[in-house]
Amino acid sequence: MMHTDVVIGLEVHVELDTMTKLFCSCPTKGSESPNTRCCDVCLGMPGSKPVLNSKALEYALRLCLALKCNVSKELVFSRKSYFYPDMAKNYQISQYELPLGAKGSLTLGAKAVNIKRVHMEEDPAALTHPSGMHTSSFVLVDYNRSGNPLVEVVTEPDLASPEEAREFMKKLITILSYLGIFDVKQGIIKADANVSIKAGNYQRVEVKNITGFKDIERALQHEVERQKREVKEGKKIMAETRSWDSDVGITRSLRLKETEEEYGYIFDPDLVLIDITPEMIAKIQSSMPELAEQRVVRYINEWKIAPIDAEVIASDKLLSDIFEHVASHVDKPYAAKWIRRELIRVLNYQGKEMPQNPIRAEELIMLITLLQQKKITENTGQKIMELLMEGPFNIVEYVRKNNLEAVSDTGVLERLCREAIAEHPAAVEDFRSGSDKSLNFLVGKVMAKSKGKASPKEVNEIIKKLVR
Amino acid sequence: MISDFVKSVQQGKIDPVHHIRSALEEVKNINQQFHYCTTIPEQSALAESKEAKTGRLAGVAVSVKDCICVKDIESTAGSAILKGYHPVMDATAVQRLKDEGAIIIAKTAQDEFGFGSFAVNVGIGMEIPKNPVDPERACGGSSGGSAGLTRKVSFPHVSLAESTGGSIVCPASFCGVYGLCPTYGVVSRYGLMDYANSLDKIGPMATSVDDLKLVMDIIGHMDPRDSTCTGPQHAKVIQKPRIGLLKSSFAQGVDPKVQSAVREFVEKLKRSGFSVSEVELPLTEKYGISCYYLISMCEASTNLAKFCGMRYGAHEPLDGNFNEYFSKVRSKYFNEESKRRIIIGTFARMAGYRDAYYLKAMRVRTKIIEEYKKIFTSVDILLSPTMPILPPRFADIGNLSPLQQYMMDIMTVGPNLAGLPHLNIPAGSVEGLPVGMLLIADHYQEQTLLACAKVLE
Repeated sequence: MMHTDVVIGLEVHVELDTMTKLFCSCPTKGSESPNTRCCDVCLGMPGSKPVLNSKALEYALRLCLALKCNVSKELVFSRKSYFYPDMAKNYQISQYELPLGAKGSLTLGAKAVNIKRVHMEEDPAALTHPSGMHTSSFVLVDYNRSGNPLVEVVTEPDLASPEEAREFMKKLITILSYLGIFDVKQGIIKADANVSIKAGNYQRVEVKNITGFKDIERALQHEVERQKREVKEGKKIMAETRSWDSDVGITRSLRLKETEEEYGYIFDPDLVLIDITPEMIAKIQSSMPELAEQRVVRYINEWKIAPIDAEVIASDKLLSDIFEHVASHVDKPYAAKWIRRELIRVLNYQGKEMPQNPIRAEELIMLITLLQQKKITENTGQKIMELLMEGPFNIVEYVRKNNLEAVSDTGVLERLCREAIAEHPAAVEDFRSGSDKSLNFLVGKVMAKSKGKASPKEVNEIIKKLVR
Repeated sequence: MISDFVKSVQQGKIDPVHHIRSALEEVKNINQQFHYCTTIPEQSALAESKEAKTGRLAGVAVSVKDCICVKDIESTAGSAILKGYHPVMDATAVQRLKDEGAIIIAKTAQDEFGFGSFAVNVGIGMEIPKNPVDPERACGGSSGGSAGLTRKVSFPHVSLAESTGGSIVCPASFCGVYGLCPTYGVVSRYGLMDYANSLDKIGPMATSVDDLKLVMDIIGHMDPRDSTCTGPQHAKVIQKPRIGLLKSSFAQGVDPKVQSAVREFVEKLKRSGFSVSEVELPLTEKYGISCYYLISMCEASTNLAKFCGMRYGAHEPLDGNFNEYFSKVRSKYFNEESKRRIIIGTFARMAGYRDAYYLKAMRVRTKIIEEYKKIFTSVDILLSPTMPILPPRFADIGNLSPLQQYMMDIMTVGPNLAGLPHLNIPAGSVEGLPVGMLLIADHYQEQTLLACAKVLE
């Protein structure tokens, strides 16, 4: 795979959305006050012993199956040893030579990104630098995070650009949220990236600590540019580990790169080997939720939804879930079009993502029903969608109060059209001689008379009929 | 016997408060000369004695090896690096004893983190426990304090000890008491400060078989807080077990006086109708020790990483970066033996050596277990002297021949590596010094061992 100009491999750490930690029963969520959600196990107290949270294993297996991995026949944990103040035991319980999943893949459009391994591990504690990362003379440790369950997804160096890395992360998040194993709103997803460029003889540099899928593109663009600049200045690319500083937008050298073998892994003798039986896998396989790709197929084939609408909606689990709810009450293709175009438009306008979307399915059902029954015009519908961003309200009431019902009574519309024709004889003449512009002018006049409550399409039809 | 004492307490004939008060006085007196205790928690012991009227151990004085956590009582695993550490929890085994009315009267001395066979590798600034029969001699290790105290006290008492490679039966032999190291996993390790997790086992020491059995019945149960804990698997007790004498332990390198003392007991067994044959464990004898030290040191070097002066135990004024600070604390408070094992254990799992040492040792261990499993198809109990020598004078420890040192380890390391239950039975004395006999059985055959010991008692 070493023929592209840029070669990127990712190690993505995903926080699994379990109620309790990986090796004890402390809650993963709750009090944010430091060191209030920890016990002897999270703190690495002498005598404490880890006990596996089986829910975390189930979640990790779901991911292995979704990524089409070969699943190991047994679960084996290892100790990864290194000294660091965020490590309660100065070793991390992780997996080494026998990862839970191996040799999987994730499809990005026409390309398959190979997954080298998927393994489980515990999160270290969080370090707080009270006056900034590089200036603080001391650091505080918060063990609330210590022991949270993580899965690490390691790709082969198959990604050819920062954009592709971003797409990969985005797709992975979609899969995680469909699997119901990751909290899209609060969960943390972090990546370390191995980056090399052709001009640097593909010397690998590791960039650590990139949070979220938006930052990955920025961090990698920066690193690729840095490497190009180094080569241009005649410098050699060093095998090193660099840390991404998101606030400043640069990477900094941390240390010369160490290899995995230098962590002195041993099997964790406190944890027993757990058989992963075919029955266990079959059970998880049968309870696997529908994934994005399967939804797209169902939307197109069964619900007759336009492919573009299906793709966009299914690529976001939250959006897709709202759509499913709405679609069960109204015309499906029509709802898909409205949600894909208008809901996303108003969200983008306010710079929001689906997790911050305030519009509920109830309002969307009401709005789309009114539109479909032509009780309001599309124009009015768009305005209501914008207002819904401020919070929910009774749409029917609002339409009535503000007198926004669409004029759909053909008698009334015909009267208004006749008036307009009578008032603008010149435009009528032009239209007769083939000017579409004049037709639009006349439609505009009728729309004004209806105070925007008429459907332009309907008015158009009536004028054509009357003038001919 | 403890059950008689407990009956008297339950019937109100013995006042536990009065009893514990005098027991504490006795322990303090003994400790001045013999140094069996790292901590004597007088206040909590007296407070607990007021409540102790029920349970199978009502009012019984119990000592606990220092590496086993007792809530709110300083527990250091015999190391200066944990000085001042008061555990936040009771070890499950301790909890079970307390639930039966036991009173914790002492934390007992040991080689730091269990690293030794004579209890002389004590923590910096700590005292070496002395043999109860002759204070010029070692009481064996690493659970030396537990064994010495069990032998020395005049009141009913049991001790909770711990073995990784022989740390229960070795000191039990040198001090002349019973010591049972159960099958790996029968007793919960929750609350045990780790030496080598895949080898560590908590077990009792006592002066009678019945007392040993009583404590085992209390502590040997499943515990959801230790993933490796299985509890007893209720194996059928073998009525007339076939005895296999380990040939190499009645040979060169084993003190002939020790051999003949043990042989007397073998004759006694023969007279009682037990069949006795000779057996050999060639693989275990050849590779057992290297395998044991590689695995135990690799595990120990990761276990000891957490002690860095940050969350508990010894601290130093904060300066330098974290690496410098951790190194300062660890250099100052670990003893020589701990440092040696950390360095060797780290080396054996590093890049380039891991396959040749750590992984190979793991594979050899499986072979050793298979060798034992095979031998248990032809005999039920393996028998040998527990220690090849009489308790040595402190001054002579450094002069033991390599063969003697090897024989000291090889007798106990095998069953520990294979996770097999084994028991030291006091087998008389030579020149006034205790001799011990070692019985080893198949996994979960504790009751067979105890029944056999009862015959010899």
